[in-house]
Amino acid sequence: MNINTDLKKQNTYDAIVVGSGISGGWAAKELTEKGLKVLMLERGKNIEHIKDYDSAMKAPWEIPYAGKMTEEQRRTHPVQTRDYPYSQANESWWVNDLECPYTEDKRFDWYRGFHVGGKSLMWGRQSYRLSDHNFEDNAKDGHGNDWPIRYKDIAPWYDYVEKFAGISGQNENWPLLPDGQFLPPMDMNCVEKSVKERIEKHYNKSRIMTIGRTANLTVPHLGRGNCQYRNLCSRGCPFGAYFSTQSSTLPAAMATKKLTVRPFSIVNHIIYDKETKKAKGVMVIDAETNESMEFYAKIVFVNGSTLSSTFVLLNSTSEAHPNGLGNGSGHLGHNLMDHHFRCGAEGSAEGFEDKYTYGRRANGIYIPRYQNFNGDKRDYLRGFGYQGAASRGNWHKEVAELAFGGDFKEILSKPAESWTMGLGGFGEMLPYYENKVYIDHSKKDKWGQPVLAIDCEYKENEAKMREDMMYDAAEMLEAAGMKNVKPYDNGCYPGMTIHEMGTARMGNDPKESVLNKWNQMHEVSNVFVTDGSCMPSTACQNPSLTYMALTARACDYAVKELKKKNI
Amino acid sequence: MERREALKKIAYLMGGAISATTMGVLFESFTVYDPEWNTYSFSATDEEILAEFAEIILPTTPSSPGAKAAGVGAFIPLLIKDCYPPKLQAVFKNGFEEMLAKCKTKFNKEFLSLNTEEKNQLMSELTQQAIESNKEPSFFLIARDLTILGYFSSEIGCTMAREYLPIPGRYDGATEYKPGQKAWAAI
Repeated sequence: MNINTDLKKQNTYDAIVVGSGISGGWAAKELTEKGLKVLMLERGKNIEHIKDYDSAMKAPWEIPYAGKMTEEQRRTHPVQTRDYPYSQANESWWVNDLECPYTEDKRFDWYRGFHVGGKSLMWGRQSYRLSDHNFEDNAKDGHGNDWPIRYKDIAPWYDYVEKFAGISGQNENWPLLPDGQFLPPMDMNCVEKSVKERIEKHYNKSRIMTIGRTANLTVPHLGRGNCQYRNLCSRGCPFGAYFSTQSSTLPAAMATKKLTVRPFSIVNHIIYDKETKKAKGVMVIDAETNESMEFYAKIVFVNGSTLSSTFVLLNSTSEAHPNGLGNGSGHLGHNLMDHHFRCGAEGSAEGFEDKYTYGRRANGIYIPRYQNFNGDKRDYLRGFGYQGAASRGNWHKEVAELAFGGDFKEILSKPAESWTMGLGGFGEMLPYYENKVYIDHSKKDKWGQPVLAIDCEYKENEAKMREDMMYDAAEMLEAAGMKNVKPYDNGCYPGMTIHEMGTARMGNDPKESVLNKWNQMHEVSNVFVTDGSCMPSTACQNPSLTYMALTARACDYAVKELKKKNI
Repeated sequence: MERREALKKIAYLMGGAISATTMGVLFESFTVYDPEWNTYSFSATDEEILAEFAEIILPTTPSSPGAKAAGVGAFIPLLIKDCYPPKLQAVFKNGFEEMLAKCKTKFNKEFLSLNTEEKNQLMSELTQQAIESNKEPSFFLIARDLTILGYFSSEIGCTMAREYLPIPGRYDGATEYKPGQKAWAAI
């Protein structure tokens, strides 16, 4: 045999990280800082911090079509155009759906960003810890499998990642939302302060309202600038004021001189070695040349985002793992969850006509879950939290009345007469085994790979919860003195919150789960999965902070095990 | 729970009627790509007419230049051609031609020769028609939406009609609102 040993050596690292988003960036940082030589593979193009944030400093009149999408963009991005995140200002950061198709057995909106940094560049930045109530819910009501960890296991890692990422927020001592290591909180505006006071009084502090905990810096932090209150985060921040791979974890990993980043590298599968019963590396398709190549490492971290990671694992079949890598349980690809939202209430505030805002705060308020807790009993399981905000916008009734002329123009040049306040629920979705993804071999992507098929739906528990998401919000706004309160349900399909989770869940029992309590595959000890696919339940909090903490924790464990020669 | 029952009556559920506003609704209501895509072309005269049309809605006032100066005359055809599906392009183009014909029958003049009073009269009639049709998509409604959108996202609209604040640097959620103070430009 003619083995090119030089090439093999050249393509060998201590660790491979698949994906460069929130969790992949953390894996690269932690593993390199612990001394490992790491290759980070990213399927899309490179985006260089600041330099490649093309629209970050553009004025509204420099954004094409005043931000509206074109018919051509609707043609090439039929999924991405279904909702608001895909916009003219960051158009190139969303996947071309025609090049990367998938099969929707039921409607599932799959929002994807294929580039260095992944969705860490476009994320919502809300950062909340899960509590023991969340870690215990599965065991208590019997849905899904028990989390293999409790709050005490992850708490020090929440501390660790918050201190580095820079999360601003207010400690509240609320049992369902643990406190954290926060930078100074952003301010509520005058209407929000009034609503907070009145809600907390009306419900005798059985419900609280706090400022959003967000990965935006309120003070300079570790060499990064603080938020300038432009509210243009999704274009990339030239001040590095929100957490992203580019602003935070990537510079730290690069500083070790142990990281290699390879863009345009689509991981097709993980290569399994039946002799050692471990992964020996990954097979990659170069997205530009279509050439396939192999890279090798002692450990592999899979951080491609929930569904992409699951695709890689399902596509990694061998004699020993005929149904996908580490899928002896049959749970790989199952138990797909998302949050559900687009449901709540809004109303107008009177008596603040002499007040206005200065600056645009890229953050809102948060009402943490209070349902099915401490005597509050609902006719569904789990619960929801609210995100919301008050603002004095630019809307005037004369627009709807079809007014025209000089007076009309003067009116539109002034702020709205009154402030409005909205509350939008974010609800937990239960894990259902039958909500699943699988590989559809009848279709191919641009690179000849089979595609993922998604079969997922909300069920009765979510539908019942949505009623309360509307009417609890309306009742709270009325209790807070808001006028013209309107409950709404704009409808929601799985995928829309972009919080997909659960398709390679953690658990203590290898028959019931894919990963153990260290995010390590039960069946393949040198493969770790630390993105949203590992989650046994969704809770109702925004999940990314938990991925960061689980990733840092798993990296610590993996390197210790590597040093002990256990893997 | 009585209050909750009352709230249920006013809840807006998906599928319910939405005709209260115009901005946004027209865009959000057709998100599926239509493969039968063809584009109408607009002449320089068309752009001039659309600029004058937009100027009636948002005219030059002592405080700021109007829609014509802000470039809305070119903005409207650009969006119609690139952002609207064929069905609405046709609605727009037919309605546009109807309006031009109406000027001839009603005033015996070309649109561009109308005086201010005649322009206002024409606009009032179009407004009335739109209200009577329960705001069914029409040339008038689309052109009016695009006038407002185009103007307030233009440099003139952002920096002269409203106030543009590119880098606020701080947030104050309870500043004093001074009577007459301009709105912040939407970004």
